Amino acid sequence: MSVSETRLIKLPPKKTRFPKWLRLPLEWFALPILIVAAWTLISTIAPNPRFPAPAQIGQSFATNWLNDTFFSDVLPSLGRLGLSIVLAILIGVGLGVLVGSNRWLRELLEPIFEFFRAIPPPMIVPLLIMVIGGGDGMKIFVITLGSMWPILLNTIEGVRAVDSVQKETARSFQLTGPERLTFITLPSASPQIMAGIRQALSVALILMVISEMVLASSGLGYRIEVFKQNYEYAAMWSIIVLLGLIGVLLAVLFQIAERIVLNWYRGLKEAERA
Amino acid sequence: MPDDILLKVDGLQKRYGDFEALREITFDVGRGELVCIVGPSGCGKTTLLKTIAGLLPATSGTIELDGASVTGPHPRMAIVFQEYGRSLMPWMTVRGNVELPLRHKLSKAERHAKANAALEAVGLGDAANKYPWQLSGGMQQRVAIARAIAYDPEILIMDEPFAAVDAQTRADLEDVVRDVWEKFGVTVLFVTHDIDESVYLGQRVIVLSMSPTVVQEDLVVDLPDQRDQLNTRALPRFTELRTHVYEQIQLAKQRAGKAA
Repeated sequence: MSVSETRLIKLPPKKTRFPKWLRLPLEWFALPILIVAAWTLISTIAPNPRFPAPAQIGQSFATNWLNDTFFSDVLPSLGRLGLSIVLAILIGVGLGVLVGSNRWLRELLEPIFEFFRAIPPPMIVPLLIMVIGGGDGMKIFVITLGSMWPILLNTIEGVRAVDSVQKETARSFQLTGPERLTFITLPSASPQIMAGIRQALSVALILMVISEMVLASSGLGYRIEVFKQNYEYAAMWSIIVLLGLIGVLLAVLFQIAERIVLNWYRGLKEAERA
Repeated sequence: MPDDILLKVDGLQKRYGDFEALREITFDVGRGELVCIVGPSGCGKTTLLKTIAGLLPATSGTIELDGASVTGPHPRMAIVFQEYGRSLMPWMTVRGNVELPLRHKLSKAERHAKANAALEAVGLGDAANKYPWQLSGGMQQRVAIARAIAYDPEILIMDEPFAAVDAQTRADLEDVVRDVWEKFGVTVLFVTHDIDESVYLGQRVIVLSMSPTVVQEDLVVDLPDQRDQLNTRALPRFTELRTHVYEQIQLAKQRAGKAA
């Protein structure tokens, strides 16, 4: 077949019903819009005070959160959440590298880790209140403690799984300890570490709310307790919406971080599949 | 025997518990020589190399580099491993990999220059910013060779580096080794199970016996220094030498069979 003949063959243009710039927002928002519409319809046909109409929830969202309470309740909660996640990552990765690269330490500590990991962190809240009080320290402690486990255990596994040839390469070229950590151990374990952090984020969000439900004077967990006592259904629903939005925000931030940290890993996996 | 001895392996023995992998290995490598070690599979070639490189402790015997005893990884030795896919770091670019061992001894500009020269020498001058997994197996092994060369070693130790690549790539890589050896004036100790490869590459071929391993023969390859894949391999002397090495290895296997 000559070149001119091949030119005759044209691929049919892809049929798209929506312009390209509309496709992503549609994928994201089509289903939520549909659900809100259905909910609105049902709440108009059969009103129920426990399930207020989306418009009411939206209104409550605006009056409850888009004012001073954002600074007095939402931001402190987010601050504790953020600080706890950072602490959980630092402790989890730090301890994980230490334990993962030391067989003796691993055998010594793993049974204890299993024991502590099995304890649901909310269970220790009452005890902690007695010991260190119900302040920020207790909340940060509980969130950090609970969300640290997936990071710690994943890091240990990741560090253990560093390739033996990579280790020998590092040894034969006499890399220093800090070089081995920065350029071999941590990057090699980063896929597992990131998987641990992903799990930790959802655990942290749960523990943020729970730690504020007991003995707190501010925060989202405290607010939902107050709303419950006053039968403010729309407000309770608005807090659920708010938590959902925080969850989405965390997921987006995590994806951006993952894209940067694990760029090489995605490429490697794609190359292996090809 | 070489006059200016760089590497001296004397009475090297390596046992793993009851298993005697290496019985008594003794040979010298002269400064600037290219020596191949060949032996039947399972004769402890990798064990020997790792022991020489200081990655495994010897049970008895000594290894000396330039008269000084080698007891651990040595700054004047560089290794090219067989498993290029696992010895390069997939999270680093080609340049990052080549410069990694130089971090603690050279400035950024010096590292850059060394890496460029080494990559240029193995024909990868324009791949510096790629990741290893974007390259073919043969190219990845070139990166590993560049990394070892940039390290500026006295002796380059290569452990069956081309066992996992196809025949044509292997021929190209053999010529890369000869080029690099001539250009950088480095001493090369090259382990292989491929008899043709050992004769084509080496100035000397050391033939190992089956395990427990001893040096069965230390053979001078009297082929012209200028080697190329077509003409060198067509020389009658090449055929004679490879036949000789082949017979030695068959002999080693038979002896092992009788002993067992």
